[in-house]
Amino acid sequence: MKQSRSLTLGAGCAVIASAMSITTHMVCGQMDAASTAVYNPYSKGILPSDLSSEMARVLREIDFIEAEAMRQWKALPPPTLTGNPPILQNTGVASVEILGKLMNFDKNISPFKNQACASCHMPYVAFSGPIPSVNLTMIAYPGSVHFRAGKRTAQRYTYAAYFPPLQYDAVQGLFFGGNFWDSRATGYLLRSPDAEQSQFPPVDPDEMGNPDTACVTYKLSLATYRPLFEEVWGKGSFDINWPAHTAQICATPIGATSLGGSATPVALSPADRTRSNQVYDHWAQSLNAYEHSEMVSPFTSKFDAYLKGNYTLTADEMAGYKLFRGKGNCNSCHLDGRSTAPLPSAPDSEDTGTTANVTPLFTCFGSANEGLPKNPRVAVYYEATPDSFGFTVNPEGFAYTDYGLGTFLRSGFGSAPNPNSTWRKFASSVDGQMQVSTARNSGLAPPQCPATEAPGPYFQKEFFHNGYIKSLKQLVHFYNTRDVYRFAVESGHCPAGTVEKVTCWPEPEVPQNLDMTTGKLGLTDQEENQIVAFLQTLSDGYTTPYPDIDTFTGACMSGGNASTQGNSTIISATSIHH
Amino acid sequence: MTCLRVYRLLLPLAVTIMVVGVRCSHSASSRAQIYAQILAPAKPASRVRITKGPELESVKDNDAIITWTSNNPGGSDQHFGVVHYGTDPNHLSETAKSPIRLNQNHSYTVFRVRLNGLKPQTTYYYTVDSMQGNGKSDGVKSTVAHFTNP
Repeated sequence: MKQSRSLTLGAGCAVIASAMSITTHMVCGQMDAASTAVYNPYSKGILPSDLSSEMARVLREIDFIEAEAMRQWKALPPPTLTGNPPILQNTGVASVEILGKLMNFDKNISPFKNQACASCHMPYVAFSGPIPSVNLTMIAYPGSVHFRAGKRTAQRYTYAAYFPPLQYDAVQGLFFGGNFWDSRATGYLLRSPDAEQSQFPPVDPDEMGNPDTACVTYKLSLATYRPLFEEVWGKGSFDINWPAHTAQICATPIGATSLGGSATPVALSPADRTRSNQVYDHWAQSLNAYEHSEMVSPFTSKFDAYLKGNYTLTADEMAGYKLFRGKGNCNSCHLDGRSTAPLPSAPDSEDTGTTANVTPLFTCFGSANEGLPKNPRVAVYYEATPDSFGFTVNPEGFAYTDYGLGTFLRSGFGSAPNPNSTWRKFASSVDGQMQVSTARNSGLAPPQCPATEAPGPYFQKEFFHNGYIKSLKQLVHFYNTRDVYRFAVESGHCPAGTVEKVTCWPEPEVPQNLDMTTGKLGLTDQEENQIVAFLQTLSDGYTTPYPDIDTFTGACMSGGNASTQGNSTIISATSIHH
Repeated sequence: MTCLRVYRLLLPLAVTIMVVGVRCSHSASSRAQIYAQILAPAKPASRVRITKGPELESVKDNDAIITWTSNNPGGSDQHFGVVHYGTDPNHLSETAKSPIRLNQNHSYTVFRVRLNGLKPQTTYYYTVDSMQGNGKSDGVKSTVAHFTNP
């Protein structure tokens, strides 16, 4: 079977004009927001010059994968619903996973039909941010309203489905679980934080920006894959009496003054609202099934092969693994599944433990404040004025401070309501904490630019919640030397004679609760590189090609070195204060 | 359950060849079992002894870092290094604590605590301790040490 990618991609739409000059915006033949002016409160250089063309490129890739998912659906055998309780015999698992994939790459869910979940989460970067220039400049990704954007980096999907519901463990004195950097997707109802995570972006004003969760239900009712949804979740799922103006409301972004501030502008009867909520839960559970599947989280890395005896780590990878567990102390939070021998009660005994019979997830499901400096490039700082819909993303402007889990426990601005009042008292003890991501797939990149590290060819990623770090080398160096090269300055103001991110680390955005496990590890330059080599063994796709990893059609970057990668984009924080 | 998996080879000029035909499993059933990785706390050590330090790791302007190493105290993974300090060696009125995460694989634990808001050109006296996430002390004993801010 042969197919021209250019033809396929040409079926999509073209967004022409640079981000800095456009005043109207065509998306797939429809005017977005009735030709409203593009929201551009940003200082020069925050929006990358190729933003529109890159967003169009990602949309073409999304359409390509959506078409692939359609073929996968059509290739399924006829369904057989049998048993009691009724189960889709043989096809149930594949059906719900493919349904989730179809949802994930469906741009029609957004108000202007210009953003899918995948717009910020593409497979060739382990379902994290797919636009190198955005990763260098504005950090957060534009939403359906161009160019509203949020405050944090797009987290990788991979293995997010394995996080348990958020819980406070009184014995360990720690919070575990949840999804999102601030753990606000707790899983308190669906018992899956990953599923509940998928219910936030469709109605987040900085992301898809639907004005009502019922709009997602409405758009699913119009989707070409509606029959698959009904096959999985039941006929009659969409038997809802939609008010006359539903389409118009659902093409209006949340926050628009015309909606009057209602969270449920689609006027449904109580019964229909309940039915819509059920569909929204099934949206979440279908996406969870996809993210849990081997299409997203397949355990196919070199390290997985090593654990099975099917791969021999190179000398540098093995050295990095030992450092990861030893001097680097990385596995105190990024658990590697090893045994816990020797016990503290026998501290001098030999570690006789072998690799435990688990598939390690390289996270403790916890949270920590690693002391990242404030990154003045984050888009949200500039969004202190209303857009053409009358909505202001961040009235606090540059004064906004990201307290992460602490803000969530307080039900604070920019997070979500905390559903458990008993957690509230812990807020000050977790200020600044962000979720400990799995180290898996931190280095995953598309095949034509197979590294995240300069000189490459490499794919420019962004790391941590605010994208301050631009390479794995910098990430390890930060852990290693944060307190060695600490300076009481903001980013962009390192003293003469120092190099930011090499011999100067600006002060933490949130100084409270700073994790001191890290900050001075005593690693040499070579040892840092060996840990990077080990991290790269955690990228899926070694034993089996990673699904859809070859869909990247953008450009790789090259040149420079990993230590100073992206440093040319550092800007002065002070300039933004004014 | 099997499904159709599609492999593609990228070619120049953005042309894609699609090779169809490998049957594969979508199911998670073939995977190794995944265990929850919320570790239980390690058994607390019968005695926690400082094996190195405490000492001044670094001092700058109005902050300092005190560090020491002990045997692994066990107990909750969430631990705090605690520094009692002040300008009068007989009255250590201030307390600073910094979180660290115990590594249950390690026989030793390095504690590091930041002291913020220090006055310049001032001598500070301090002792150290460590405690579990619930505030229970590890019972570490250290003599009074001191440093002077630049």
